[in-house]
Amino acid sequence: MKTKKTDRFSNPSRRAVVKGLVASPLVLALGTNKLRAQELSQMSPNTQTSNSEFVNGVSDSQIILGTSAAFTGPSRGLGIELYRGAMAYFHDLNSRGGVHGREITFKLYDDGYQPDPAVNNTTKLMREDKVFALFGYVGTPTVTRVLPLLKKFQEENFLLFFPFTGAQPQRQLPYGPFAFNLRASYRQETGGLVENFINVGREKIGVFYQADAYGRSGWAGCREALAKHNLKMVGEATYTRGTQYTADLKDQVDWFMRDKPDAIVCIGAYAACAAFLRDAVDGGLQIPIANLSFVGSENLLKLITDSQESPERYGQFLVNSQVVPSYNDLSLEGVQLYDEFMTKNAPSVPEQFASKEEEYKTFDRSFVSLEGFLNAKLMTEILTRLGPEPTREGIEEAVFSIQDLDLGIGETVSFNEDRRQGLDRVYYTVVENGSFVPLRDWAASSNAWNEAASS
Amino acid sequence: MMKITRLFQWTVFGMIALFGIIGFTNAVVTITAVDRDLTSKSADNSRNIAKAIADSSVDILLNGDLSTLQSRIDQMLPVLGIDGYVYIRDEHNEIIAHTFVPHIPEQISESEPVEGTIERNLKGQGDFLEVSHPILAGVGGRVHVGIDQAIVSLTIQRAMGYQIWIISGIFIISIFLGILLVNLASNPIQQLLQYAVALAKTEEVEETRHEKLRKRKDEAGDLARLFEYFALVADPKRSGIDTKQ
Repeated sequence: MKTKKTDRFSNPSRRAVVKGLVASPLVLALGTNKLRAQELSQMSPNTQTSNSEFVNGVSDSQIILGTSAAFTGPSRGLGIELYRGAMAYFHDLNSRGGVHGREITFKLYDDGYQPDPAVNNTTKLMREDKVFALFGYVGTPTVTRVLPLLKKFQEENFLLFFPFTGAQPQRQLPYGPFAFNLRASYRQETGGLVENFINVGREKIGVFYQADAYGRSGWAGCREALAKHNLKMVGEATYTRGTQYTADLKDQVDWFMRDKPDAIVCIGAYAACAAFLRDAVDGGLQIPIANLSFVGSENLLKLITDSQESPERYGQFLVNSQVVPSYNDLSLEGVQLYDEFMTKNAPSVPEQFASKEEEYKTFDRSFVSLEGFLNAKLMTEILTRLGPEPTREGIEEAVFSIQDLDLGIGETVSFNEDRRQGLDRVYYTVVENGSFVPLRDWAASSNAWNEAASS
Repeated sequence: MMKITRLFQWTVFGMIALFGIIGFTNAVVTITAVDRDLTSKSADNSRNIAKAIADSSVDILLNGDLSTLQSRIDQMLPVLGIDGYVYIRDEHNEIIAHTFVPHIPEQISESEPVEGTIERNLKGQGDFLEVSHPILAGVGGRVHVGIDQAIVSLTIQRAMGYQIWIISGIFIISIFLGILLVNLASNPIQQLLQYAVALAKTEEVEETRHEKLRKRKDEAGDLARLFEYFALVADPKRSGIDTKQ
């Protein structure tokens, strides 16, 4: 296995990609055309490229995609896992010659899940790096602020592909035409959670959310779903973006204790949601606590498992919605491929963001990396359909040509002028034996939550 | 240590009292002016922010895009300072976006919607000046912006701090100068007193010691010469007095 890995990385093209990714921050720091050309040629030593040979992020041997995501800070697990999933696919693709002979390479920037750096990074990607397209962004507060840039530079036909957010702004006017989404929306996730809770008699639903655009998006989804049943949310509490797991969220728990909800939907990132789960269960708020796909389920569970003596005490109240099927469901062809590529390619943390002080431990498999993998697979399909002479102007047409495409997860993908989101299905998971498994029977789970609370 | 002559003790105390009155009056005037000015500026700022949000939120609200609305108000928060707040009520008076952590204060969630400018005391958070602005003439809801009054108090305290330093410095310098000048003024009187005592005791008047005093052309010199005259009138035979003058 080890020999195989060495062989794989001895492939000059893949090594070039890794080198390119490592060199990118240095190039950005210096910002000279000469160095950028040098760095780009480092990405692909097989071809003697220079910066001038790149036209709108495309050269004879490469297509450059630009990413700004959280690679540091309390939400870095999301950016890293999404990137790892995508790279598992692109590594393999590049080793097979890429798309029409061009490797897919990345220009990566870290925004730490903060809007202002995301805006600055995107400006660099569009104005200085002149990437072909934006791909794999993470977060609603970041993407919401980036969307106006896409509109501002619409003559240059920049498009944002498959951001890791289910918020509405990139799904509707005025910014909808500048983005394509693969995942289901938060409206669909929260709607599904609320509907299922109501179906099992849990009508008093509280919402715990991040005090920003992401939290508001999920809050609005819950409100809308409850309104369909003439219900209103029972209690709401917020937290500040960037809250760490070590934070004390007892104030929020106390606030909910006053209203006594039957279930709580959390719209947050893993560190704060894990802290809330911990304080809620410890504080006697023993009701189902649901999280959206964005939370990063494995990261959340890991924080609880690593810090608590009996993690199952907390895990038994968790119910997380997902926008991709379980990575353990190997009956699905797409999941099987993901499983194979994650093992074969073992993507790592981008070297420039690997912190020596605070090492990030990657997950062998995760819902987030599976989503990244599917994003990459669909992006490859789009680039393939663009033909041997890809231009930004042609991207939309290529995307709209996708009809009933099977990504191997039991749900086909189609796009058109009015449909800019590929998937709609929402999956629900609970914790069993320390990992997330599909939730198949809501009534049985509801009984289990009641029993857990009374025991 | 500088000694204050008894004659001018009240003058010095008067100076200190005057300084106290000036300092106090100045402080009251400054506090009132700064408070009025800052409160008015805060209200204007809040009103402008509320108006900016209200004007730019119409399309967003009509599209039902609450996440963009939230993003818009989050961007305004740094302008308000860490303890400021923004919330938006829709046409049904429901709060649909806000910046409160960990929850919406009960005083706001349970209160009737207000128009214009009001002062609010939020439990555990302090006093706020809250202004509101209608969205689409009120049919789209209202934007409410709150500014922490503690910022105004803090600014006043800071301004007063600077002022107290300056006034204290001037006060100390003035007191030293005052005592010095009073002592300079009282010096001829003391000499005159000694001279008068010497004359009264019919002692030999030391020519050199009182010469300067007698030759002064001010009131002290006139008095010295008058004392001499009285002394000669009382005892024409006494010696040691310059009769030529």
